[in-house]
Amino acid sequence: MANSEAAIRRPHFLARKSTRRAVLIWSFLVPSLLIFFLYRILPLGWNVLLSFQAWSPMKPAVFIGLENYQEMFFDDEVFWQALWNTLGIIASAPIGIAIALALALLVNSDIRGRDIYRTLIFLSYPLMTVAVAIIWRWMFDERVGLINYVARIAGLVDKPIPFLNSFTWALPSVIAANIWQMLGFYMIIILTGLQSIPENLYEAAAIDGANAFRRFARITLPLLRPSIFLCFVIGMLNSVTSFDLVYVMTAGGPGRATEILITYIYKLGFTQTRFDYAAAVTVFFFVLLLGVTWTANRLSGGNAGAVEAD
Amino acid sequence: MGKYPRWPIHLALIAACFVMLVPFYWVLKTSVSGENIFSYPPSVIPRDPNPFYYVDVWYAIPFARFFFNSVVVSAITITANVVLNAMAGYALTQTFRGKRVVLMLFLSCMMIPFQTTIIPAYLITGKLGLLDSYLGLALPMFSTIICIFVFKASFDAVPRSLIDAAKIDGLSEWKIIWMVMIPLAKSAMATNVILSFIWSWNNFMWPLIATRSADMQTLPLGLARFLSYQEDSTGALYAFCIMVLAPGILLFLLAQKEFVQGLTSGAAKG
Repeated sequence: MANSEAAIRRPHFLARKSTRRAVLIWSFLVPSLLIFFLYRILPLGWNVLLSFQAWSPMKPAVFIGLENYQEMFFDDEVFWQALWNTLGIIASAPIGIAIALALALLVNSDIRGRDIYRTLIFLSYPLMTVAVAIIWRWMFDERVGLINYVARIAGLVDKPIPFLNSFTWALPSVIAANIWQMLGFYMIIILTGLQSIPENLYEAAAIDGANAFRRFARITLPLLRPSIFLCFVIGMLNSVTSFDLVYVMTAGGPGRATEILITYIYKLGFTQTRFDYAAAVTVFFFVLLLGVTWTANRLSGGNAGAVEAD
Repeated sequence: MGKYPRWPIHLALIAACFVMLVPFYWVLKTSVSGENIFSYPPSVIPRDPNPFYYVDVWYAIPFARFFFNSVVVSAITITANVVLNAMAGYALTQTFRGKRVVLMLFLSCMMIPFQTTIIPAYLITGKLGLLDSYLGLALPMFSTIICIFVFKASFDAVPRSLIDAAKIDGLSEWKIIWMVMIPLAKSAMATNVILSFIWSWNNFMWPLIATRSADMQTLPLGLARFLSYQEDSTGALYAFCIMVLAPGILLFLLAQKEFVQGLTSGAAKG
């Protein structure tokens, strides 16, 4: 078909080698495919299989149908707590994106030193999350943390707040640290989007007498839509899988106040050795992520004149 | 654009940078003084700065060992990534039977975050006998789909006429790849090196699961373990923190254009 046609049009010295070429191409692909099979596809299948079994290392597997799922949905309060916390983190992504949008608009104006601002704001993103978690533990410290210190000087609180040991404050604190780390990344993505909006749109709107606010609401925001949803999807995936941040900052505590699905899966698997049940939670987690990603992609697509994020 | 006062913009951005930088300063200050662990109110400028906590770190924990482990795992990951991704990226620029299936497979694998594979990944690595080894630590990150597409885009951008000219000159396909394609894919390579470096260097969850012995721990793992032994009682923790962060920050400042480009081009495909 199309393949053989192309082969005919190609010079003869290549056409003769077509089988050798196929071998070459496939041998280029096989190493990567093997890695993805071993560490993506096989685990996905294995998780699904395990979730229907009662199994632990050194024991034969027994098929138990939906029992793991039944336990998860009906008898496991920790699971629900972890789910709500995970959803809370997903719901907090727009806060970071809104701040980043404001910063991107500021950095995008023609001022001196914008590269320096951009660099400094982006700096936290590529850093080791374990170290970031330790930094923020220190910032949120009850006795001598900077945040408590400033809050007390400003007279906002009369008693220091034990942020990471408080059931009310622990999750918001972790979310704040997460936003701090993701902010620069969001900003750069939105900045790329901003810079791809044609300047003459604004000029035309200004001639038509649209004020700055209307220009922002009618031109900037709609054209940024793909970038904003891209931020949301990446930020959401990054945040809810941010095992290291939660594990080091609070280890899911106090109680289960900051337990998220990924930390719960880890604990089930590697401290309680309940691989089967952990697999069921993983399958649920995976479906949740797919669902949110799919919804966000649907919402971002389908608008005419969208500017590519890249 | 029109004339408008610039100082409010500068003010807002300086405030933002302040929020981004103060946490670093606070930790740096504690690492050279350690004083305000026990005293209130904390002083803003370090009193009597000294490097003793850094010396402490050197003696209290096998820092050099952790560092070495991190370097080895990252080196393996980066090498494997560049080679495997370049190969797969090149293959995807060609027409061949089953290409659509391969593309679909890659795109759907991108939807599976590594974190949702940890339990089988642990079991599989165990079956391969690679737990607690450098290869086992690096293997799951040997190839990344994002980087395959970065290479593919870069190879696609090589002008057709250049390849045809090379063919007419009688160069074999290998030589074309080696002498024409690879030199023109330098920026894709930089992106790939940076991304795989960051992923392997910062990775915490997989080493936590896949290592047993203290000898095999990488830096993030060592840092987290140190925290759990010492709690927040010593400035050495923060000195350790700075020692771990410093190479990353330095590298970022040296190659920030590549970093920003790499990290966002990765995302755009995500």
